[in-house]
Amino acid sequence: MSNASLSLEGISAFHDSNKVLDNLNIDVAAGELVSLLGASGCGKTTTLRVIAGFMQPSQGRVVLGGRELTHLPVHRRDIGLVFQNYALLPHLTVVDNVMFGLKQRGVSSSERRRKAMEMIEIVGLSRFVDRLPAALSGGQKQRVALARALVIDPPLMMFDEPLSNLDAKLRVDMRVQIRRLQTAGERTAVYVTHDQEEAFSISDRVAIMDAGRIVQLDAPEVLYKRPVNAFVARFVGFENIVPIEVVGRDGGDATVRLGKDTRIAMSEKDFGPIPDKALLATRPEGLQLGGEPGRAIPATLGLRTYLGRAYQYHCASDAGTLLAHGDVEKPQAPDQTAHLAINPAQSAILPYETPAASQEDA
Amino acid sequence: MSAPLMRHQFGRVAPLLLVLPGTLVVVLMLVLPIGDTFSETIGPQGDRLANYVKFFSSQYNWLVLNRTLSVAAMTTLISLSLGFFAAMMISRSRGQLRQVLMIASVFPLLTGAIVRSFAWMVILGRNGMVNQSLLSLGLVDAPVQLLFTQTSMVIGLAYLFTPLAILSLVGVLDAIDDSVLEASSSLGASPLKVFLQVTLPLAIPGLIVGGVLVFTGSLAAFATARLLGGESQMILPTLLHEKAMVSFDWTSASTIAAVMVVMTIAIILVANRIARRFNPAMG
Amino acid sequence: MRKSLHPFVLVMGTGVFLFLLAPLVIILGAAFSDTTYLTFPPQGLSLRWFENVLAKQSFIEAFKTSLIVATFGTTFALIVGVPVAYALARYRSGLPSWYGSIFFLPVLVPEIVFGFALLKTVIVALELPVMTALLVGHTILAIPYAVRVVGASLAAFDFSAEEAAKSLGCPPVKSFFVVILPNIASGIVAAFILAFITSLNDVSISLFLTGPGVSTLPIELFTYVEQYFDPSVAAVSVLLMVLTVAVMVIVERSLGLSAVMR
Repeated sequence: MSNASLSLEGISAFHDSNKVLDNLNIDVAAGELVSLLGASGCGKTTTLRVIAGFMQPSQGRVVLGGRELTHLPVHRRDIGLVFQNYALLPHLTVVDNVMFGLKQRGVSSSERRRKAMEMIEIVGLSRFVDRLPAALSGGQKQRVALARALVIDPPLMMFDEPLSNLDAKLRVDMRVQIRRLQTAGERTAVYVTHDQEEAFSISDRVAIMDAGRIVQLDAPEVLYKRPVNAFVARFVGFENIVPIEVVGRDGGDATVRLGKDTRIAMSEKDFGPIPDKALLATRPEGLQLGGEPGRAIPATLGLRTYLGRAYQYHCASDAGTLLAHGDVEKPQAPDQTAHLAINPAQSAILPYETPAASQEDA
Repeated sequence: MSAPLMRHQFGRVAPLLLVLPGTLVVVLMLVLPIGDTFSETIGPQGDRLANYVKFFSSQYNWLVLNRTLSVAAMTTLISLSLGFFAAMMISRSRGQLRQVLMIASVFPLLTGAIVRSFAWMVILGRNGMVNQSLLSLGLVDAPVQLLFTQTSMVIGLAYLFTPLAILSLVGVLDAIDDSVLEASSSLGASPLKVFLQVTLPLAIPGLIVGGVLVFTGSLAAFATARLLGGESQMILPTLLHEKAMVSFDWTSASTIAAVMVVMTIAIILVANRIARRFNPAMG
Repeated sequence: MRKSLHPFVLVMGTGVFLFLLAPLVIILGAAFSDTTYLTFPPQGLSLRWFENVLAKQSFIEAFKTSLIVATFGTTFALIVGVPVAYALARYRSGLPSWYGSIFFLPVLVPEIVFGFALLKTVIVALELPVMTALLVGHTILAIPYAVRVVGASLAAFDFSAEEAAKSLGCPPVKSFFVVILPNIASGIVAAFILAFITSLNDVSISLFLTGPGVSTLPIELFTYVEQYFDPSVAAVSVLLMVLTVAVMVIVERSLGLSAVMR
């Protein structure tokens, strides 16, 4: 019972009169962890609330392990939920909190105590079984919440920004623990977060959401290398996005124009096919100082910041301000002219959008 | 004496100076008169408790005492139950609706006991609305005695104190995090079980505070008891008034006064003890 | 995002609010009736009971007494109570922890007991005039409001602002008036209004202290209701309600009701 597949089929939902989910389709395979990633207001939490049953979709179906949940009340859905603010029952001790769901299921009192204690031990809180939530730290509370959701052995686990109230170090430890428990039990899970690094580190696949729709749903590795558009690219760290236009082709080489009148040559062998109009997206480390004129973007160096493994420069170019990296052994003074070499491995050619449209999402 | 030392001493004296006038007012005008009243109940040497023995050996006094306590208990039960529904409604409302409901709760509290008891005289009187309806529906032949009964007294007191119960409960209900209720239902608790196992236990502090306010208030509610209970349904405050102003038996009146104060304090102490046991660490 | 209300709670809750408001509506109807006996709904509409009440010298006099007693009693209570609230909030270590409870004694002692005690001591033993006794009683009645409501707004106050004022050269007494008073003004107004209304409605204390000649409005009403059962009382009730509504509207406009009820 611990793993079932989840399907959202054409889910739309409204908040007052605003459409917050727009024909959403997601399939989560049994034992898979899928993250919903996006800025606040993108619909990720609403999606989770629709699956959990706190909100009714105006359209579409929620199916878990072949069972349709769409119209079931929350308490019959059998989903293990972990909340952002832990949502522990303040009047119950740790063990009573963990036993709460078992009690609702009519598990005998000795059996539920045994199961709860076992789960409390797994999350490492055996010393705190009789404490009230108020006497626990944030990390401990979240582990109680985790144990409480796991102990009912639900076919689906859902996490609503579970780590956002914890400090940075604990956040990393906890996400490892969540991933370990999830994979060990081969549990199907939906994980909501706004933290890209968190989502990528623990997910099998990540759905990047915007305005109630899924923009891209892929494995983290694919998202990282091959964003489908400027919105996703910006989300995964392509900080330089400039429109390009092919002004001449010569076999596998294309001459492209950036900004007003900068022309450089780009090889389709390196970058893949380049349409006549496109966006060139690069990470800061994908633009290196000291490029070869004609194949690199000419720019003037501005503010320099130290990143440890490299220097980062804010460069003024014909196509606007670009972030580029330079050798940490050879710091450059500002106001010099430089050529920024484009590293194809850290770049992507994206479908053209008007600058206004691509800026709006930023 | 150096300046810093003076400063230091002023710092220690300042709080005492600030509380002095208030303390004097309370001690001289409240504590002393009450103490004087209590001292009047002390019997002659050798039989210090004579007045209390006399009070408690009267069967009528026991009747009044029992009635006082049962009326207060009924009132508390009704006010807290009614208050709970209203408070849940307020706590779940937002914006304008919440404002309106709050005002609807507070407003009766700001109109006096006389006005509010009078309303029930109009409703429950011989020619009141209830009797007229019963007569016109042919359910009774002659007006029913509704007023000046224990029931009319309890209705009037519940009406008087439900707003207090609401206000005591709204706070605790507001303090219950939505996600705690959501978590409970996601763990499989039906709405009724969420109420019984989560909402109700978390509302206990408010129930205790509200319960004490309503119970002690009912014990002492003279005007309502008098107007809706009349002379046939005496409770301690109306009995005190009668002893003091009709029979001019001030010793008996003082004894009743002392009994009322002791009862009030006892209830508060018991409630405190219960509150400590149930104190759920919030947050 | 609030969970929706269970229909059962909605129905019951609505019932409770009807229970709270219906009697007040009935009084309103009774006050405008043109019959000499009390019925609802009224047979015909008239203002005769309002005219009757406003022509009644004893009601007018009693109302004046009530206003005087409530105004001065509440003011005295604030004058002695605000310094207490300040001291309790500011000098926690300078006073024993139980000290604040002294000022809750008036809540602990049933009003009717207190009224009777004042009759025995202040009026009979000390032979003070009725007006003085009323003022004493109502001052005590208002003290818990002064200490508690003002104390609540002081509890929310960060006293480092007062220290900052002193460090900038403001002398202690002046810094109280310049820094603290403006910040607790809403608490003081709230305390005044709550105590004022309580005082205006009080029966149990005044019951023993009024005599022939000097009476408060609730006592006058109480005596009247016990003897006559006509819509005059409903008319007075409506006038009092209008006064209460006026006060609430003023408070709501200037402070917000939530600020007062906290």
